[in-house]
Amino acid sequence: MIRLRCREQLHEALVRETSQGVEVVVDGQASRPEVEEATPGSFVLRTPGPDGVARVETFHVAREGDAIHLFWRGDVYRLDEEREGRRGGAARHAEGGLEAPMPGKVIKVAVAPGDAVEKGAEVLVVEAMKMENALRAPKAGVVRSVAVKVGDMVAPGRVLVEIE
Amino acid sequence: MTLFRKLLIANRGEIAVRVARTARALGIPTVAVYSEADRGALHARACDEAVAVGPAEARASYLSFERLLEAAKRTGADAIHPGYGFLSQNGDFADACRDAGIAFVGPPGDVHRKMGDKKGARRMMAAAGVPVVPGYDGDDQQDATLAAEAARIGFPLMIKPSRGGGGKGMRVVHRLDDFAAALASCRREAKGAFGDDTMVLERFVQRPRHVEVQVIADSAGTTLHLFERECSVQRRHQKVLEETPSPVLTPVLREELCAAGVAAARATGYVNAGTVEFLLDPSGRFYFLEMNTRLQVEHPVTELVTGLDLVRMQLEIAAGRPLAIGQSELRSQGHALEARLYAEDPANDDLPSAGRVLVCALPEGPGVRVDTGVARGSEVSVHYDPMLAKIVTFGRDRAESIARMAEALSRTAVLGLATNLGRLRTLVDHAEFRAGNLHTGFIEEHLGEVSPHPCAPPEAIAAALAALHAARGRGAAASRAGTAAVPDPFAALGGWRLS
Repeated sequence: MIRLRCREQLHEALVRETSQGVEVVVDGQASRPEVEEATPGSFVLRTPGPDGVARVETFHVAREGDAIHLFWRGDVYRLDEEREGRRGGAARHAEGGLEAPMPGKVIKVAVAPGDAVEKGAEVLVVEAMKMENALRAPKAGVVRSVAVKVGDMVAPGRVLVEIE
Repeated sequence: MTLFRKLLIANRGEIAVRVARTARALGIPTVAVYSEADRGALHARACDEAVAVGPAEARASYLSFERLLEAAKRTGADAIHPGYGFLSQNGDFADACRDAGIAFVGPPGDVHRKMGDKKGARRMMAAAGVPVVPGYDGDDQQDATLAAEAARIGFPLMIKPSRGGGGKGMRVVHRLDDFAAALASCRREAKGAFGDDTMVLERFVQRPRHVEVQVIADSAGTTLHLFERECSVQRRHQKVLEETPSPVLTPVLREELCAAGVAAARATGYVNAGTVEFLLDPSGRFYFLEMNTRLQVEHPVTELVTGLDLVRMQLEIAAGRPLAIGQSELRSQGHALEARLYAEDPANDDLPSAGRVLVCALPEGPGVRVDTGVARGSEVSVHYDPMLAKIVTFGRDRAESIARMAEALSRTAVLGLATNLGRLRTLVDHAEFRAGNLHTGFIEEHLGEVSPHPCAPPEAIAAALAALHAARGRGAAASRAGTAAVPDPFAALGGWRLS
């Protein structure tokens, strides 16, 4: 779950890939926005109508750190992602997702999708500033996905491995 | 044979980019100067050559005679365009250029100095028959004399320092009883800020409009006006919206005002482009306010209605050429409106904001001109003026240029730092603005309290998250290809947990 603060309001959202494309759930409402990147930071949203005519509009979004800057229908918004334990340097444990705690390079991947892992098992190793950081399984389970391979550069907050 | 061998642009931001454009069109090679903070700035890439002139602090870079003249010498530039702000109205710099054998694109040093002294400028204008606000501009500066003059002028009145600007040492006084204390405080402020506590008294004009006349003069003594601009929509003495023609001038009043502008320019022995600013009171009387001895920020609206390139005319005049056009051939056609996009935060008392421009989507289309000093990736620092870009629209009439402006602003997106975009949209949509009912307190009167911006609707958040998810693939691909050596904001589009 992503927690996004926009002014006084807190929104909960998640993004998942489904067989019909990317699904986004915001405050319990699921949708499949059809977006296409036009130029960096600029996107086209197509909303199909019942008569086969799609509404087409351009919007802009960029992320810097935990801040998401959004231009939508003429107005500008800022959304801030709230993360607990971000600065702790440890991997996130919630939801079974394992995030990169810092920017760095993946130097070891110890698991593959379908593998059973024990809680605390080393899943992968990220190197940053000549320091190696082992990411360990937050719970026992089965690896559902591995989003990276050795040599990939990763950004903080990026989900690297999913365990369920 | 070009006008100059090479032109150095002693400025930054949108005006440096805009001047370079005309120079290139005229075949004049250009030199940009940049401070350490501006190494990657748009203007430093807009010229044929670029010279570092010092640290971020303007005093040691963009305001340094020595550094700028040295850069001109090193690059072989034989002309310097000062833009606006910085050294553009510095008579001593104009003289220093002349002494170094470099053409200063602007009026000579003594004109800058004459107009930089409000007391002297007022007297010169009054002598030339240009109306000035009833007041006192005498040499006798004793407190008792000023108090007696204040009683004669009547209240409310303004106390203004003769030298300086920016609102420092300036007060509105409503009653004679308050005058002595206000005068003392103005003197202290002016002494501290400008090293001079000579004061001018002027009757306070209530609900004035700010209307100015663009003038241009060649060194043979031909002086023309290029009609007026109305810049009443201001925030803290900073113009926000500018337009031409003014929605309130009758043809007769326009003629009188423009003639006064020409008379003011002639009285100073003006050469090159300048602007004579007037206050217009609700009864239609106008008064000389000051003269800006440089190209104005808002010059594009004049260019759009006259079809002229003011920078080209400035360069021709600086090269000693006579004006190639006469007053009777000049026409103002249609209507043009300019909106200034500032890096300032309406939610934080309009204080300047800073940051990196992550997205820079600027409008284009029929009747739309954008002069920008930033692009995607630009760093906006707090060292300099917070103006990012000017959006200018042109139409057959005021309604059309306003409609084009509203549409253009709805497509303007500068993300990564706070801007006044929302305020510009509110202003342009305001019924009183559309009706042309303007005065210099317009923003305070109609947009006093900024309504808190609502949160993004859920569908917008959903689209944003889907977009960031889609962009993630590209960021990762760039990293794998090793092309993301410079951190790209999109490479940091953190993965959203898949569950």
